[in-house]
Amino acid sequence: MTDSLLAAGVKAFLVVFGLLTAFAYMTLVERRLLARFQVRLGPNRVGPLGLFQPLADAIKSIFKEDLVVSKADRLVFLLAPIISITFALVGFGLIPFGPKHAFFGWDPWVINLDVGILYLFAVSEMAVYGIFLAGWASNSKYSLLGSLRSSAALISYELSLGMSLLAPALLVGSLNLQDIVAWQENNGWLILPLFPAFALFFISSMAEAARTPFDLPEAEQELVGGYNTEYSSIKWALFQMAEYVHLITASALIPTIFLGGWRMPGFLPDIPFLWMFLKMALFLFVFIWIRATWFRLRYDQLMRFGWGRLLPAALIWFLLSALVVAAGASISVLNWFSLASVLVLLAVLLSGPARQKTAKGGAA
Amino acid sequence: MSFWEVVSAVLLLATALGVVRAQNAVHAALSLIANFLVVAAVYAGLEARFVAMTQVIVYAGAIVVLFLFVIMLLSAARSEAGPDPLPGLQPLALLGGVSLAAVLVYAVSRFQAPANPASLQGGLPQALGPLLYQPERWMYAVLLVGFLLLVATVAAMLLVEPERIAPPLSGKRPQDQQEGARP
Repeated sequence: MTDSLLAAGVKAFLVVFGLLTAFAYMTLVERRLLARFQVRLGPNRVGPLGLFQPLADAIKSIFKEDLVVSKADRLVFLLAPIISITFALVGFGLIPFGPKHAFFGWDPWVINLDVGILYLFAVSEMAVYGIFLAGWASNSKYSLLGSLRSSAALISYELSLGMSLLAPALLVGSLNLQDIVAWQENNGWLILPLFPAFALFFISSMAEAARTPFDLPEAEQELVGGYNTEYSSIKWALFQMAEYVHLITASALIPTIFLGGWRMPGFLPDIPFLWMFLKMALFLFVFIWIRATWFRLRYDQLMRFGWGRLLPAALIWFLLSALVVAAGASISVLNWFSLASVLVLLAVLLSGPARQKTAKGGAA
Repeated sequence: MSFWEVVSAVLLLATALGVVRAQNAVHAALSLIANFLVVAAVYAGLEARFVAMTQVIVYAGAIVVLFLFVIMLLSAARSEAGPDPLPGLQPLALLGGVSLAAVLVYAVSRFQAPANPASLQGGLPQALGPLLYQPERWMYAVLLVGFLLLVATVAAMLLVEPERIAPPLSGKRPQDQQEGARP
């Protein structure tokens, strides 16, 4: 903590303001990109390139009628979106965007916690309550069913999320995000020795942000709208906001832990903010890309995948990296294991469905 | 007593009262979450950072979610009216509460601040790990607690699906016995 309380307050305000603006424009970017994927134009009427569309959306959602179901638990009904957005917003301040004093003499992060990863984990667990309570307080069947199953899914994927972060914490020997970035500067990016952990973390954080393969809350064919069925106006917008802020935080966290954070390899200059923003943009684009191309998993498939595939894989990889660290071997051993796991994954992906198809073809 | 100590004490008591007094079980669970969060803040204020975060992750995060699941699936949110189903319980609860308070007072009166606070390193996992996982310190206690949790998990599965885990010895399925006993 080198900055004063005032600086921290100003930066916290900037982070919240930035995140909310980023949310507004992420909706536009996502809609435009989805349109591009589906060979159509997307929203381009309001202002140049549709740039004022988020403003129009904001005005619309604020001035819509704010309905409260007559049998709803009014206090909890109001609390749920507030809980959602609060715990979504408080995680981002941890992520370092550059070296000390890089932000007009201030440090380019809001807080520097020694238990950073644990803090992020705690915050993302608390965010489950927003969904949970929204479904209960609405006093509606669809909302309750939606919230029960999405919170069950979120809790299930928390496990592999936490488990996949154990390996980098072990290797670096610290839970502090800045230590992790500094370690990667000296020893190379963590994605190389820990590719399985990266893949597991990527998938689980996609599930945590309720993105497409795992976007059960939005399964409108089955549940109307899931946990937020009874919400309208600005409260509904708060839930959307929380979802996008989770997504933005995840796409900042993945590069910080696995892709060198705000630094780039030696031949590129260290420019605070720039590299981090580029990496974030890359991951946000990948998330939208996946949404445009992938299908939604059925609920039982989702649970089976989380408990039956992701969690054992995370456990095995954690044990393996713990063994390597305990044996005092060098990181290059883990590089080989990582490469082997990539090959195994490729073999599984390439052989599985294709063989079934040929077998069927042979029988016919 | 500093200002923040008073604030956290008041908040702790208020939320704890909310847990006991709330008419609606979901409101009680919400008070419990608030209580756990304040406890975590107290831990963090005492420089026990790892314990503070674990308090939020394990208790406020995982355990209360399970409480809420049970409350919602059994639709037990409304308070029960009518006669007390377990009338003899109140004196026992009083006894339990008083003995717990006595143990806590004893523990607090015996507490000694560590001679060298710097050695705790702000309660980071790097300082806590050797304490918990060294055989000469608390390793066996940690292993025992882990074993207890494992046994509890197996017992819960046995309660839910008895015939899948352990086939009944008599060769008769439990449902048949229940149906036989019903008339």
